[in-house]
Amino acid sequence: MDEQDRIKLLKEKAEAVQTLVADITTLRQAFDYAIEVTKRQGGTTIAAPSLGMEERTLLGELCRKAEITLLTEDLRGQAGSIHAGLTLGDWGIAETATLVLESTSEDQRIATMLSETHVAVLPKSRIKSDLMELESELSASMHAAPRYLAFISGASRTADIERVLTIGVHGPQELHLLILDDEAA
Amino acid sequence: MITTPSDPKTYRQDLKRALQNQFLGATLDTFSTAYKASRAKAFEGMDLDALIAEIAEGKDGSIPHLEELFAVFKARAEGSGVKVHVAQTAGEANGIIAEIARANGVKTIVKGKSMTAEETFLNDHLEKEGFVVTETDLGEWIIQLRHEGPSHMVMPAIHLSRGQVAELFTKVTGQHQDPEDINGMVKVARKQLRQTFLEADMGITGANFAIAETGTIGIVTNEGNGRLVTTLPRVHVALVGFDKLLPDLKSALRILRVLPRNATGQLISTYVTWITGATPCTTGPNGRKEMHIVFLDNGRLALARDPLFSQALRCIRCGACANVCPIYKLVGGHNYGHVYIGAIGLILTYFYHGRENARAIVRNCLNCQACKAVCPTGIDLPHLIKEVYRSVLQVEGDKPLKNRLLSRVLRDRKLFHFLLRRASLAQKPVSDGPYLRHLPFLFAQEHNFRRLPTVAATPLRDRWNRIAPRPEKVRHRVALFAGCLVDFVYPEQAEALLRLLKEHAVQIDFPPDQSCCGLPAQMMGEKETAQEVAIQNLKAMDPARYDYVLTLCASCGSHLKENYPKLLAGTPGLQVQAQQMASKVIDFSSFMIDVLQIPSGEVAGDALTRKVAYHAPCHLCRGLKVTRAPRELLERAGLEYLPSKDEDVCCGFGGSFSIDFPELSAELLSRKLANAEATGADTLVTDCPGCVLQLRGGMEKRLGKRLKVRHIAEVIAASRAPSPKK
Repeated sequence: MDEQDRIKLLKEKAEAVQTLVADITTLRQAFDYAIEVTKRQGGTTIAAPSLGMEERTLLGELCRKAEITLLTEDLRGQAGSIHAGLTLGDWGIAETATLVLESTSEDQRIATMLSETHVAVLPKSRIKSDLMELESELSASMHAAPRYLAFISGASRTADIERVLTIGVHGPQELHLLILDDEAA
Repeated sequence: MITTPSDPKTYRQDLKRALQNQFLGATLDTFSTAYKASRAKAFEGMDLDALIAEIAEGKDGSIPHLEELFAVFKARAEGSGVKVHVAQTAGEANGIIAEIARANGVKTIVKGKSMTAEETFLNDHLEKEGFVVTETDLGEWIIQLRHEGPSHMVMPAIHLSRGQVAELFTKVTGQHQDPEDINGMVKVARKQLRQTFLEADMGITGANFAIAETGTIGIVTNEGNGRLVTTLPRVHVALVGFDKLLPDLKSALRILRVLPRNATGQLISTYVTWITGATPCTTGPNGRKEMHIVFLDNGRLALARDPLFSQALRCIRCGACANVCPIYKLVGGHNYGHVYIGAIGLILTYFYHGRENARAIVRNCLNCQACKAVCPTGIDLPHLIKEVYRSVLQVEGDKPLKNRLLSRVLRDRKLFHFLLRRASLAQKPVSDGPYLRHLPFLFAQEHNFRRLPTVAATPLRDRWNRIAPRPEKVRHRVALFAGCLVDFVYPEQAEALLRLLKEHAVQIDFPPDQSCCGLPAQMMGEKETAQEVAIQNLKAMDPARYDYVLTLCASCGSHLKENYPKLLAGTPGLQVQAQQMASKVIDFSSFMIDVLQIPSGEVAGDALTRKVAYHAPCHLCRGLKVTRAPRELLERAGLEYLPSKDEDVCCGFGGSFSIDFPELSAELLSRKLANAEATGADTLVTDCPGCVLQLRGGMEKRLGKRLKVRHIAEVIAASRAPSPKK
C-alpha cells in the first residue's frame, strides 16, 4: 500500500467514526484551523502543551489576535475551562483511522481528555497501513517506561442507552485530524 | 447483589417471567440481527479463521506459563515504579485494594468498567469499608444506581429501556429527563461524573492485556472514562486476571485486531490505552502516580492446568457468545449467567462462583453452536458447557431419573429398539394419524406447544431389504447412518433418499447393528454412555468398508464427525476408526450436489411445492459447516427459495432441551415459524429430522395458514415417484 492509498484509506475509515479530516501543508495552517474551530464553537481557550518553543510563540500570537487564551501548562488546575486540545500526533493507522499519541505528560492527557474538541496534526509520513506495522515502534516506546500511549479513533462514544450511538460521553465530542504534507514542506 | 437460582424449578420460573418482558425480547432480537451484520462488515476482507487459529495458538502457548509470565511482568512493572500484588481469592483481592485505599488516605474512588471487579464484587466490599465508589462507564453507572449486576459483558445496561433510564436520571438529578432525548441523558452523565472524576482520590480499572515483556497494561474503551480514571486520581489500581497475561505486544495487538470487531462490530474501540509504569501525576507522591496492579487468581491458575477446561482462559471478554445465543436473546443476561454472561458465563460461573450458582443455568444450552461459531479464540463453548454439566452431575452424585433411564436404555440397543417397537403398538389407541393425540406420561402440559409424531408401524430397518436398491454397477459404496428419528419415526425420509439414488450406481447399506448416535446422552452430560454408544456404532459400521457414511440427520452427522473423535481420543484403535468415520460422514445435500453432481432439471419439487423457506439446522450449518449445498439443491430442483430472517437460528428443539425448557423451546419455535411464514413460502424445508419434528409439530398447533414442513430429501424426491404409505 503506497502513501496515497494509506491516506485514502485513513480518510475513508475516519468518516465512518465521525472523525473530521483536513489536509494541511504547514503547522501554521493547523493553528489557524484550531483557532477557527474554537471560535466557531464559541470556545475561548486552546490547550497545546506539547509544542516546541518556536511554535508556541507563533500560536500564542495567533491566539492573541483571535482573543483566545492559549494554555500550555498546569492544565489540571484549568481542567474545567479547556475548549480545544491541540496535539502533534506520533503515528496514524490507516485501517482504523487511529491517531497514536504519546501521552506520558499529564498535560498532554488532560488536553486530549477534558477538552470539547481535539485537533491533532498527523504528518503524512507517519501513517502506517495497519496496526501490526507499528509493532516495533510501539514496543520501543513501551520499553522506555514510564509511558502512557494512547490510541484515539474518533470522538468519545457510547451506546449504553438502548444501543443508540451517542457522541461525547466523557471525552472530546469531536476529533479533527489534520494531515500534514511533511514531505512537501 | 446478584442471585442465581440453584434449583432448576426456580430457575424455570425466572425464565418464564423473563419471557413476559416484551421490551427485552424485542431489543435483544434487534440487537442480535444488527450485531451479525456489523460483525460481518467489520471482518470484511480478513481471513478470520486464520486469525482465530493464530490467537488460539498464542493463548494456548501462554496459558501453561502464566506464572512465569507473571514473574517477568512483575519485575518489569516494579522496575518502573508499580507495586504488583497477587490475590489468590476474590476476597483477598478486595482486601488488598481496600488496604491500598486506606494506606493512601483515599475517600472517593472512580471506576472504569471491569468484569474482574464484578467477579470479586469489589464495589460491595469497598462500600462496606466506607469508601465512596462511583462507576463511570455509562452503562455501569446506570446499573450501579439501580443496584443491579451487568446483563452483558460489553453493554451492561442493555436490558433497560430509555424510559427506565430517564426515570432513574430524573431521580438522580432532581430534574425531569425526556426519555426520547438520549443525547441529553448522556450529557447528564458527562456533567454529573466530570466533577466526580476531578475530585476522586483513586481510580480502579481492569485491563484487557497485561504484557509481560514490558510490564504494560492495555485498556480498551469507547467512552474515554478509562483514560480519566487512570489520569486524574493520584492512585491507580488495576485489577487483572492472570489470564490476561501475554508474553509480548505482538500477542496483544493480534487480539486487539479482533476484540472490538467481534464485540461491537467496530474496527477498533475509540480509545486503547497502554500504560507502562507509574506515569507523571502532579497530585501523586513525587509527581508520579501511586500505581498498583493486583493479579487475581481465583481459580485461574488451577484452570490453566486442566487438560480440557484450560481453553476457557482463552476468553477475551468480547461478549459475542451472548450476542448470538438464541436463549440469551429471549431471557437476557440476568437469566443467562451469574456474573459472567453468555456461553462463557455458564462455564466460568462454575469455576469462579461455584457449583450452586452454575448447576441450574448450565443446563440451559441448546448445543446450537452459534457461540462456538463466533468465538474469536475458538473456544469449544458448547462442549465445555456439557462437560461442566457432567461435572456437576458427577460431583452431586444424584443423577436425575431421566439421565439414569436414558443411560440404561441407550447402552443396550436391543432393549432400546424393543421399547420403540412396543411404543408403536402402545400408541395405537392414542394416535391420530401421524400424531399422538395425547402427550405420553413423561410430558407435562407445557410440553403441548407442538404435536408429537407417532412411532412408525414399521421402522426403516424392517423395510430395508424390500426397498434397498441393488445397482448392477457400483460407483459409490455408502453406509446409511439412519439415526433414531429416521429409523423409527420418519422412515419415509430415507425412502425418498433411496428413490433419488436409484439411477446413480450407489450401493447403500443399512448396517443393522447401528443404534442411536449418542448425542442425547452427551447433551445430558452422560459422556460414558455416549462413549459406549459410539463404540457400538463403530463396530456396527466399519468406516473402512465405505466411501461415505451418509446421514439425513444433521445432528447425528455432526455428532459422528465432531464428537466421536473427541469421545474416543486416546482409545487405542478406536481413535483411528473414529477419525475415519468422521472423515466419511456426509449430509444429504452435499452428497447430491458434490458427490452425485446431479444437474439442474434432473430433480424437481412436486406440483404442490413451489416456494420454499429454508431452516438451516444448527448441526448442518455450524456443526458440519454445510451452507451452500442445500440452497443449491433447492435451486437445481427449480424451487423458488425465499430467504427468511434468522434462517440459521435454532428452531428450539435441542433434543432433551425442549423437555427441560419447554417455554424457551416454544418461543424459539414460534419465532422460527413466524419468520418462515413471513416469506410467503408454501413449504418450509430443512435437512434434519429433529428439526422436522419440532417445526412440523409446531405448525400443527398454529392457527391460520400452515406451511408444509418437509425434509429436503422428500421435497427433492417428491416428483419422482408417489410416496408409499407407512
